[in-house]
Amino acid sequence: MDLLEVRNISKTYGKGETAVHALKNVTFSVPKGEFVAVVGESGSGKSTLLNIIGALDTPASGRVFIDGRDIFSMKERHLTVFRRRNIGFIFQSFNLIPELTVEQNIIFPVLLDYQKPDKKYLEELLTVLNLNERRDHLPSQLSGGQQQRTAIGRALITRPSLILADEPTGNLDAQNTSEVIALLKEASRKYEQTIVMITHSRSIAQTADRILQVSDGVLTDFGRFRE
Amino acid sequence: MKSYLSLIPFSAKVRRSQNRMTLLCIIFAVFMVTAVFSMAEMGIRMEQARLENKHGALSVQDIIGSTVGQSLLSIAVVSFLLILIAGVLMISSSINSSVAQRTKFFGMMRCIGMSRQQIIRFVRLEALNWCKTAVPIGLVLGVAVTWGLCAVLRFFVGEEFSDIPLFGVSLIGIISGILVGVVTVLIAANSPAKRAAKVSPIAAVSGNAGGNGAGLHPADARFVKIETALGIRHAVSAKKNLILMTGSFALSIILFLSFSVMIDFVNYLMPQSASTSDIDISGCAGTIPADFVETLRGMDGVKEVYGRRSSFNIPAGLNGGRTLSGTLDLISYDDFDLECLKKDGVLKSGSDLSKVYGDSNYVLAASDPNSPWEIGDTILIGDEALEIAGLLKYDPFSDNGLTNGKLTLITSGETFVRLTGITDYSLVMIQVTGEATDENVNAIRTAAGDSYHFQDKRDQRTSGTYMAFVFCVYGFLAIITLVAVLNIVNSISMSVSARLKQYGAMRAVGMDERQLVKMIAAEAVTYAFCGCTAGCIAGLPLSRLLYDFLITEHFPYAVWSFPVSSLTVVLLFVVLAVMAAVCVPAKRIREMSVTETIGEL
Repeated sequence: MDLLEVRNISKTYGKGETAVHALKNVTFSVPKGEFVAVVGESGSGKSTLLNIIGALDTPASGRVFIDGRDIFSMKERHLTVFRRRNIGFIFQSFNLIPELTVEQNIIFPVLLDYQKPDKKYLEELLTVLNLNERRDHLPSQLSGGQQQRTAIGRALITRPSLILADEPTGNLDAQNTSEVIALLKEASRKYEQTIVMITHSRSIAQTADRILQVSDGVLTDFGRFRE
Repeated sequence: MKSYLSLIPFSAKVRRSQNRMTLLCIIFAVFMVTAVFSMAEMGIRMEQARLENKHGALSVQDIIGSTVGQSLLSIAVVSFLLILIAGVLMISSSINSSVAQRTKFFGMMRCIGMSRQQIIRFVRLEALNWCKTAVPIGLVLGVAVTWGLCAVLRFFVGEEFSDIPLFGVSLIGIISGILVGVVTVLIAANSPAKRAAKVSPIAAVSGNAGGNGAGLHPADARFVKIETALGIRHAVSAKKNLILMTGSFALSIILFLSFSVMIDFVNYLMPQSASTSDIDISGCAGTIPADFVETLRGMDGVKEVYGRRSSFNIPAGLNGGRTLSGTLDLISYDDFDLECLKKDGVLKSGSDLSKVYGDSNYVLAASDPNSPWEIGDTILIGDEALEIAGLLKYDPFSDNGLTNGKLTLITSGETFVRLTGITDYSLVMIQVTGEATDENVNAIRTAAGDSYHFQDKRDQRTSGTYMAFVFCVYGFLAIITLVAVLNIVNSISMSVSARLKQYGAMRAVGMDERQLVKMIAAEAVTYAFCGCTAGCIAGLPLSRLLYDFLITEHFPYAVWSFPVSSLTVVLLFVVLAVMAAVCVPAKRIREMSVTETIGEL
């Protein structure tokens, strides 16, 4: 069964002569546990697509189904809770909360749900992310790679079915880049999570199970590398 | 562009909405000082005109040396200093937030070669650039309000204010206004300018460096919800901002409490009793027949006639004693006089005035902080036991308000006549109507004839001066409160602007609107709590000190009491300010597009 289904998504910014068609009838689906890379030039509509899938933005037309649920039919309040529990976000510039420690940043979505984190799973994540010794540090006391690993931990803590990553390695060096990609792939395999990742790097894209290219708002599916 | 400083007007144009509050703060400071000094000068000019009419030519030194001149000047100088402090606190907090929001900008400036000194100059000139528009607006407002106030004093209050100049322009007011605008801005910009100069060039290239004010202590979410913990952390992490906000709240509370004492002071100085008479008639031989009172009641221009009977040194049994061991004074009050005691708030709490009316066994007693008698005590006069149904807060029959150990009882007319058998009045007081003419008063004088002592007290009315003073004090209080509320709203709004990107990220990872608003509310409440605590710690002893110095020193019976009502009012304003401060950014957050803020990340 497909975890993510995108149907005829269109998005236009502006009106009249200045209108920009960021996405034109984009349709695709992603099965559970697949690691998808989205490539494309700057301004091609990649981030718009990711924002719409993550319900951060609304499309002009079309629908998005996650785990069979039409996300845009939900009210704002329910959508926020749905996002909190089912979608994990990883940003290029980490966006950690500067006042919270590594551990607090990771469990932040759970705290927003007024729940107690699963301690065993948290320990497991901290070990996998190699952040055990840094758990009480603030983001300002971490390196870029450590900050991004923390952001990955935050995206994984609720065991979301879908992880959306917008150029997660854009601010990292080569070694940290390969570490982060390896972590994402491991998560995808180990926890059966679907990952949609935007990247500019062809070599990184080729490590994914499947590549989608967005060009001038039109999506081209390059298919699966590995079945 | 001639120099890098030419960037300032462009920046001001782009950041117009963010700078609006800072401009407002400067306008307020300039306006207040201009108005206060202009009013002081108008007051001095009025006094000069009055004294010149009385004593001929007078020099400025004579006026400034006079009591009125000196008190007006000292009030203006104290107000100047207070406004300067309030202005510096508010403007500094505004500029601080403005700098905090632009960490990346200053980092970029440092990256492309701006020196620290140049950044300091940039921030200072940027602040001075606001004076260009704010100072003239403040001056115009100040002069206009002075004219308005003078008109109110001249036409509505009248009396001694009928000589106040109408469209006077005070050079001292204008110069003080300009001075306060420029000096406040320069002092206020000093510390943010240094802060901006300290921004590392790395801030421009790194997403997380500087500007977040996170400090080295993480938020503590063990005891409160995460959004509350973050809100509190946001408030306490930026120490300077916390101090400024606390100072701003505290200053408003301190000023409010101090000015409340000023109102108490004027209440003691010019008591506005409902029973204040315009004409007093006292019997030379000690007696005024009751039927004369009825005659007066029917005369033209008479609004109210009420009399008092008195009997002194009556043998009495005090403190429940069954023998006539001491003496007391007995005074009768007519019903109107008794009602006025309640209206004027002269009775101590627990007093029951209703028992005293008519022919009864209940009386009121004058008291002071040292008098031993209490409500419920019984007094023996002749063979009648009277019960004290209420106590007056002071002794209205002594010079200093103290009883000096003497018991004075107030009874109704009927009770007095029953106890003493005296029906004649010793004092008759008359209140005349607003339309009463001198002819009406002369008719009363004629009716009184030579057998009574007649005293026309109409020109001793202090209600005009009292109203003017109270109007000014409350006006000043209202403006202080308004400025404080605006400042709080502005600071919270600035704080939200500075963290908008962070809020966007929080929304993206699942924080809902309600939680975001709660986070901002927690931040605002933290400022308010710190400010109220500091304000009460400093304001209450100051209130007591001022009370002792201004009031108890001159009115020994006056006792400072915990200012419950003033404190309730000021705390209510704080709550309103916090609510307003949360509502404005909450609206912005509701309208916030997550993708737009995320896009900037």
